[in-house]
Amino acid sequence: MEIIHILGVLMHIHSVLTSQDTFSEELLIKPLYSDQVYTHFHFSTKWDVDMDTETFNHSRLFPRALGEIIKRFNVQELHVSLTGGLWRYENWGYPVVDAAPGAEVWAWFRPDTGDVDKNWKLLANSLSGLLCASLNFVDKSNSISPEFSFQPSGAIDSPNVNNTYLRYASLPREIVCTENLTPWKKLLPCNSKTGLASLLNSGYIHNSRYHSVGLHLRQICQDESCESVSLDLQQTVSLVYDYGILGTKDWSLSKLFGQGVNGRCVLASRSEIYIDITSTTARAFTLDPQPDEVLTSVRGGHHSTFGKYTLPRNFFNIYTKFIDKEIVSLNVPPVLHANQYLTGYGQERGGIVTKVYNNHWSELDVVLLQDIPWYVPIYLHTLKLMSNDIEIKPVALRYVPGKQRERPYYLEVFIKLPPRSTTSVSIDFDYVFLKWQEYPPDANHGFYIGSAIISSILPVARNYTGLPQDGTLISHSFNASRSGYLVQVRTENMVITLPTPDFSMPYNVICLACTVVALAFGPLHNITTRRLVMKSKKKESLLVKLKKFLSFNK
Amino acid sequence: MSVKNPVDEEVKRASIAQIVTTCVIGAIIRCCLSFSKYQSIIANHVEISTPLNSWKRVSEGLYLLSNNINPYSGDLLHETPFSLYIYRNVLRLFQGRIEYMFATVDVLTGMILFFSAKKYVEESYKEEIVNRHQYAKDVSSYLLKPDKIFLSPYYVLLAYLFNPFTVLSCVGYSTTVFHNFFLSAMLFSMVHGIAVICGIFLAICASISFYPFVLIVPGFLYFKNVHRSVVKALVSLKTFLAVSVLIVVMCTNYGKDFSYLSNVYGCILTVPDLQPNTGLFWYFFTEMFDHFRELFIFAFQINASVLYLIPLSIKFRKQPFLLTVAILTIISIFKSYPSIGDVGFILSLLPCFRHLFRCSQQGFLVGVIMLISTSLAPILWYLWIYCNSANANFYFGVTLAFAIAQIFLLTDILFAQVKREFVLKNGTEKKVDGEESLLYLE
Repeated sequence: MEIIHILGVLMHIHSVLTSQDTFSEELLIKPLYSDQVYTHFHFSTKWDVDMDTETFNHSRLFPRALGEIIKRFNVQELHVSLTGGLWRYENWGYPVVDAAPGAEVWAWFRPDTGDVDKNWKLLANSLSGLLCASLNFVDKSNSISPEFSFQPSGAIDSPNVNNTYLRYASLPREIVCTENLTPWKKLLPCNSKTGLASLLNSGYIHNSRYHSVGLHLRQICQDESCESVSLDLQQTVSLVYDYGILGTKDWSLSKLFGQGVNGRCVLASRSEIYIDITSTTARAFTLDPQPDEVLTSVRGGHHSTFGKYTLPRNFFNIYTKFIDKEIVSLNVPPVLHANQYLTGYGQERGGIVTKVYNNHWSELDVVLLQDIPWYVPIYLHTLKLMSNDIEIKPVALRYVPGKQRERPYYLEVFIKLPPRSTTSVSIDFDYVFLKWQEYPPDANHGFYIGSAIISSILPVARNYTGLPQDGTLISHSFNASRSGYLVQVRTENMVITLPTPDFSMPYNVICLACTVVALAFGPLHNITTRRLVMKSKKKESLLVKLKKFLSFNK
Repeated sequence: MSVKNPVDEEVKRASIAQIVTTCVIGAIIRCCLSFSKYQSIIANHVEISTPLNSWKRVSEGLYLLSNNINPYSGDLLHETPFSLYIYRNVLRLFQGRIEYMFATVDVLTGMILFFSAKKYVEESYKEEIVNRHQYAKDVSSYLLKPDKIFLSPYYVLLAYLFNPFTVLSCVGYSTTVFHNFFLSAMLFSMVHGIAVICGIFLAICASISFYPFVLIVPGFLYFKNVHRSVVKALVSLKTFLAVSVLIVVMCTNYGKDFSYLSNVYGCILTVPDLQPNTGLFWYFFTEMFDHFRELFIFAFQINASVLYLIPLSIKFRKQPFLLTVAILTIISIFKSYPSIGDVGFILSLLPCFRHLFRCSQQGFLVGVIMLISTSLAPILWYLWIYCNSANANFYFGVTLAFAIAQIFLLTDILFAQVKREFVLKNGTEKKVDGEESLLYLE
């Protein structure tokens, strides 16, 4: 009996030791053209596991809480991001991971999922608990299934992709703060005690111009033949610090994050920091200590140089010193960027305009996705595409009209942007009047419209930092020339103030309206039920009336 | 029977030239306004375009249809597939000229109302001559005067073509214009005793805006009591039912499924869109507590449709035309998405009842309230929505006043009818046992 027990324990230890999971942590620091520095943390957990048989009762590096959720709700692929601030594409180029302001979540469910809507709702609720975010507000009334914009980024079983298993929702009003970062850090194997995660002190990172935490889960092929798959979890934190807020252009890890790195995470197979030193021509700085290695990456015709540090086991810090050079360089905006704004005045009729800029010398195919909440009814016949003041036609269009309190308006437009053009996509909407109990407590704060998403495969990799689709690490993006580079540009959120009723009036309104109804009922009742008679005009005195009344009672 | 044919008498009538000129001027006014820059301002006004009748929503529906998207999958469109079909084909007939289409239909409505009123006036004049022997002796001043009464149809035409309510409704491209057209066609066939046509148009009206289905009762009474033909009455009833079923079948075929039902009738009955209009529903159901919503929706819808139907039909069974107008007024006051086009239609029918005006008392009051509320409504709307210096209560107050004006108008006309009847029967002498006396309802 005991032998069997011991054998069982041994087997268990064996399975743990042989379980194929690896964890890597990377940090990319890139001084941006303007007075900002971009830092991107990338924690990647890869686990060679079969999703069909794995029960997620035990895991080594992979967060078990997340595993249980994806198993329970039959999730194929999951992307969550919680973002504060807006990524300025025009000045900053492209981030490693695009994220819309507020909370954004999209998931692919496995094709054998029965009730996708129900699973989606439950998934959102579970994620809400996992990340302490208000994702529980995600339901059918604010979710869409875009056809073009969100393709699975990992390996999938079936050759044809069916977007009925895709759900996307964004909560533009969500405010991201410490309470989201803390549970997010708990998903890391080393927590925030050691490793790069020890830099993530909420007191510092929420002082930045832009901060975004993300969680991206997908399945990837283990090898070229793709006979078995691995689970790939990428946890990211993107921060943009402003020299103005820092008070100096000489940044260091301790200045940015409050402290240096508390040694490498012992569970990590790879623990590295990359600093983009390409831009030293424009904003020259010296590094102390010197990088362990200097890498040159040629990607899509674009050269960049990185200083690479491998984290030691002990405390580590990097200092930079800004060299004041009298060089004024010109910012070359990225190939594709966009913004969005509201038109019209008053609270009756308005319009949404999305401006898409193509700075490339050739045509660019883009897909514009608008997820418009149900309280902003849009009129498709007013959709107008103007490119350099010439009206153009969309190549393809997908539209599902919304329904009050049930479904948002989903609009996806496939546009061929002319070379070197500014294309504005405008559509009209009406302001609606809600029931008084549907307004939030601060009704005049306004209602949010989420950002539009412009997806495109760029032919050049200028200002591009994203990972290739087959890559899981930042180091995979070096020298990764591909035929195209996927970007998903997010625009600003918008706020509209819907006309409000007087919230203190319900009783008065009910009384007044009913009075008017009674005003009709009374006379009509009289007319239809009584006869006209002629009666003497002479009035009886009170005494006579009283006498009559008393005589009645006798 | 020695009834003199009123046609032979020396009476004042509107000449054909007069009528044609009026129609042309009416059409010109409409076209001029439609082509002016004020058209879009007028069309955007909530008093004119409600969710149910705005042309913007119709064009959205037509656009979605042409792009193979089911327009009833969203909830912007509240027109039936049948009316969409009509608009599409009429628009094709006018080669896409919306201005001409609306102006033509509206002027046609005016003409049809003119002929309906003409027939009605002639009929009531004849009937009064027949019944003359039953009346009291000193009532000659209360009787219909041929020189006055035969001008009424012309006044109806004038009141329809130059009524600011109908003009604005037409210029604002509200589909109430079409609804009014079908209603007038129904009235025309009713007074002319064409039962089948009456049933057909009534079914169309009911299919568009639901509430007019109650008009089947006055229609029935008209055929039975005025045309003295129970057969015709039954025919109109049966045609109404048959055509209603046919329209539902057609709509289902054209709209592919039944989703239009919840979009059209669901919207009319449950009032999900709370955009302000001239009616009572919008603010009431904006401010309603959720758990009482159903109760009040039932109460208000019954109030608007069948509550007054039976008592009024019993009381005014001998005056089915007045009954029709009374029921139309009740609908236009209490329906869920009224617009000023509905009010304009009723106001333009009032000259038919000129003989009642001397018995009515509140004409001035009603006129003043209507004038003030219609001029205040856009001002307060502007202050609320654009300047943010007023709020919803101001506009609500105006719509209440507007509803009260219509209610006073209705009750006043009905009282006048009762009074006139009394006077015709009992004479003008206001003395009981030699003492001054007054009329009381008992």
